[in-house]
Order: sequence, then structure tokens, then C-alpha cells
Amino acid sequence: MKTALKYRILSIAILSVFNSIYSQDVSQSAKILEHLKNPSGDHILVVSHRGDWRYAPENSLQAVQRCIDLGVDIVELDFRLTKDGHLVAMHDETVNRTTNGTGKVSEFSLQEIKKLRLKNACGVRHSRQQVPTLEEVMKLVKGKVMVNLDKTESRWVREAYEVLKKTGTIDQAIFKGNDTFEVMKEKYGALMDSIIYMPKLWPKNKKVRAYREAYESTINPFYYETLFDSEKAETFAMIQDLRRDGDGFLAIALWDDLCAGRTDEVALLEGPEKAWGWLIEKGATGVMTDRPKELMEYLKSKALRNP
Amino acid sequence: MNFKILLVLVPLLVFQVSCQNGVKTVPASKELDSSEPKRKVKVSIEALIDNLTDSKNKEVIVVAHRGDWRNAPENSLQAIDNCIKMGVDMVEIDVRETRDGKLILMHDETIDRTTTGTGKVNDLTWDYLQTLQLRDGIGHETPHKIPTLTEALEQCKGKILVNLDKSYDIFGQCYQVIQNTGTANQVLIKGAIPYRQVKREFGQYLDKVHFMPIIRANNSNSQTVVDEYLEHLKPVAFEFTVPQDTFQIVEYFDDIRAKGSSVWVNSLWPHHNSGHDDEKAAIDPSVYDWFIENDVDIIQTDRPKLLLAYLRAHNLHN
Repeated sequence: MKTALKYRILSIAILSVFNSIYSQDVSQSAKILEHLKNPSGDHILVVSHRGDWRYAPENSLQAVQRCIDLGVDIVELDFRLTKDGHLVAMHDETVNRTTNGTGKVSEFSLQEIKKLRLKNACGVRHSRQQVPTLEEVMKLVKGKVMVNLDKTESRWVREAYEVLKKTGTIDQAIFKGNDTFEVMKEKYGALMDSIIYMPKLWPKNKKVRAYREAYESTINPFYYETLFDSEKAETFAMIQDLRRDGDGFLAIALWDDLCAGRTDEVALLEGPEKAWGWLIEKGATGVMTDRPKELMEYLKSKALRNP
Repeated sequence: MNFKILLVLVPLLVFQVSCQNGVKTVPASKELDSSEPKRKVKVSIEALIDNLTDSKNKEVIVVAHRGDWRNAPENSLQAIDNCIKMGVDMVEIDVRETRDGKLILMHDETIDRTTTGTGKVNDLTWDYLQTLQLRDGIGHETPHKIPTLTEALEQCKGKILVNLDKSYDIFGQCYQVIQNTGTANQVLIKGAIPYRQVKREFGQYLDKVHFMPIIRANNSNSQTVVDEYLEHLKPVAFEFTVPQDTFQIVEYFDDIRAKGSSVWVNSLWPHHNSGHDDEKAAIDPSVYDWFIENDVDIIQTDRPKLLLAYLRAHNLHN
């Protein structure tokens, strides 16, 4: 073999080794984080509301696993604090609707709430799923998908942060909330610089522009959850500002008054272009959905999901 | 340049790549897609009825509980339509009567959980009920409306078999709608009562529409109840509740089918099937083997997609 050829093979071999090591190190969740930091209309992030609650009980590990299997980017879940200080996944203040027990989450100890079993959607009983802790959720998603923490806003950010630190998943959690930056800063101080925070832009907030400005000039968020009951809403007009500034616009396709009626249900009944397609055309770089499977299929068909 | 280094590096590279392949999981979406019904064979209602009335063939009938409640509001026209498109054989729906005598689809005694209104069905009028919207599985309003039994049966006509739950006490009213919509041959009414009682209470309908007795395997006289039905009515099927499969009646399932009645067992909850339920099957579909091994030929499920995929893979469904 000629020496020159040997060198070439050698250099290709070394390069390949580095490449393979590098690509192993970049986890799926790190790739998702990159997309979150660099919002783009060419790659739409999919956020699944309460896990895939059509497949498994809402806010259950099975519903989260299903999201991982579907290839969604972010799982939106709700967390509340038990009386002995554990964050557990539960939407309502009480366990009545979603478990076989009754009472407020805040009146259960972790051990007590673990004895309950979750119900499926429509109140269908006899799932074997338990109420998961934030720690269990973060261990399950580690390196895989991101989690959007709902209900923790302005209450349990500190408790949640401790769990993220312990599980090494600070980069995988997106906090969100409605409070002004001043309020959040007052409550959490320097912690606001250590977490990923996505403020919500509400159409009913009369000072929504000043609200955003305060965030822009301080923590400068990657993304805003942007809600508008109609195209006349101030928040709708703000979309172009978001996109101009390179910020992500997370559209919420769940219910009429969150997305000017361009909901998941409309996507199914009247075709995806009328709902998801419209939101993307208006600048959405991410969509929260109750139909993760169908949305993923639509985005793939439109080449809006890079591998 | 030492060529030996290359000899070390190349296998290392191969090892790296193969490691990567090793940890690379099958793209989950593909795995999920394979569980989708691939064939959209249009099955005629005649074939469905033939299958229902033939207790001896291998085809297993799939019944979807409350319609496709995962993807549409339970007991909605959309939930029924989804079942038809999925290739489900029979849809189970719940019937209740309004104060002014209209039959509607509703599971609970009240409309609180599944609609935007409140109150008991039998205290409310159809005028009011038709102004409401149905809620989805997590309680949010949808564009879908409460269907009447007439609308539901018209939608099912010629397309899918129907099981009317909560129908026994309003047998006569249900039959009226069944007759008006011309769906008698594709509808099943059921009740957990012995033959003599149904004969006395609703005997006039028994040769006009399918009636399916519900039998609880843990009742000591379940065998006698079954034998009486086989002798006098030979119902199209029996629905059995089997908390544990040590009950003797389970061993009798093949006899019942040989005598001309199908055997229906729910895969819904553990106490229906001695712990071989849909939730277990979602983790391991071979849980459904229990139904086949015990000669069950009608299964009511909360996971129609999963069950259809299982049965098709075992050549037990078109």
C-alpha cells in the first residue's frame, strides 16, 4: 500500500472515530435544546399536552414514554407539592378526577399518594399507573426529551430546581408562568438565570408589551408561549416582534381562545392546513397539541421536521 | 507512518460503529406504525352479521367500549365513525332517556362529566340537551354534540354492529328506534337477568332483535342460567364476567359455542377476565392469548387498535 493512501485511510479513520464519539455524546435532548435556542419555521417543535393522554393516563410515566416513542420534543406536565414536600405530576388541585382516590394533593404524603392508581381519559378505571414524582419523570426522560413544567410557576420553582440538579437534568426542563419578571426576580433571585424560563403572553394582559420588555432586557428568553383569542389580540400582533428578535413562538392548539380557533380539533375535522398550517404560516416555531401523533405526521409530510 | 497503527485504528472504528448500531433503537414511530391497521378492507354488514351469528368460526369480533373514546368524545358520532374506519366490528354505546322521552347516548346518569351542561338525563329535555357540547377525555369542550339513538343507529346502519348498554330497562323504547331505523339485525340488547324474567318482561321482542344475557361466572347458578337460555332462546352470545379463571363455567365456553352461542368476555378491567386486561396487553399484547385459549370469540376492549393488530397477526381477524 502506498504511504499516501495509508495516510488518507488513517485520516478518514481518525475522523470517523471522532465523529462517532461526538454523535454518541450529543443526546436527543441536547438536539432539542439546540432547536429551542434557535427557533425556526423550518423545524417545528412538538409539545405534547399532559403527555399522550389519549394513550395512557394524563401525567403518567406511560404517557411520557409514549411521547418519547412518538418522537415529540417536549412533554408538558403539571406538578404539585405533597404535604411532605415532594413534587408529583397532577393537573387538578385534587386527585378526584384522575385517580381512584379523593382529596387535595397537598393533604397527601408521597407514600399515601403512591397507593392511588391513575384513571385513563374519560375516567376509565383500572390503569396500573401510579402518580409519578418529578424525580421519576426526569430520570425517565434524561437524555431523551424535554419537559415543560406547568403549575410550578411562582410557587415551586426552587423545589423543582433541586430535583433537576439531583437528576442532572437542568437543561431539560422549561419553566413557565404568567408573573412579571419583577415578581419572579423578587421570589427567585439569581435562580432565574439558572433555569430555562418561557413566559406566557396573555391576550388579556393590558401591559403585555412592557411585560415582555422586562424579560427581554433581563433573562432574554428563547421562547414565548403566545396566546391569542382572536387575530385582533395584541399578543397576535406581537408575533412579528418575537420572530424579528429571533424568539420562538409556541402556539397552543388546544382550545379556541388560546389560538383564535385554530385548534387540533379543527385540524382533524377540517384539515391540518386550517389549524396547524395556519399557525405555522403566522410564525409558530412550536405547537402544543393534544394530538401529538397526528401533528408529527403532518409536520413530516411538510418536511418541517429535520432528522 | 506505521501501518500497525492503522491495524489498531480500523477495528476500533468498526467497533465504535457497531456499538452505535447496537444502542440505536428501532425508530419508535415505525414500530408504532406497524401496529396500525394496514388493511382497510371494506367488510359488508352482511359479513359482520354472519360472523356474529356463527359461533363456530375462528374470527374474533372486536367491540369498542363507548366508541373510540381516546380520539373523540365517548358516545359521540365521531367516536363511532372512527371505529368504522378502524375496522372495528361492533361499537358499544350507552343509551338513556330524557325527561321528554328522547333516547340519547350518555354513559353517566348525569351529563356533568361529558358535556358542557349539568343535571340528570331524566330531569332534562332534549331541547336543552341539544344546545350543549360534548367534552373530550380530559374534560375540555369539543365541537361535537350529544347524539340521539336515532342518529347513532342511522350512522351505524349497514356499517358496524351495535351493542346497546343500559338498554334493558328501556327495551321497548329502544326497539322502537331500532325498528324505525331498520337496524334490528345488527343491534344487540343486553341484560343481567335469567331467561324467565326477560321472557316475562320483554318476550314480545325476543324474536325481533338480538338479546344477549350477561352471566357473572362467580354466581353459583351461572351454569343453570346458561343452560336455560341455550334451551329456550339460544342467544347469539353470552357476555361473561370472569373474575378468576378457576370458575368452572370457563371450561364450558367451547360447549356453549358448539351449541350455537358466541362467548363474549371484556378485556376492559382485570375482574372481567381474571387479570388479562387491556392495560396489561398495552405492555405485552400476548396477554390477549388468554381469550383465544379459553375459546372467547367476542372481546370488548378499550384498546381496539391494539387488539385488532394482535388478532390480525394471529389470523383471527380480517
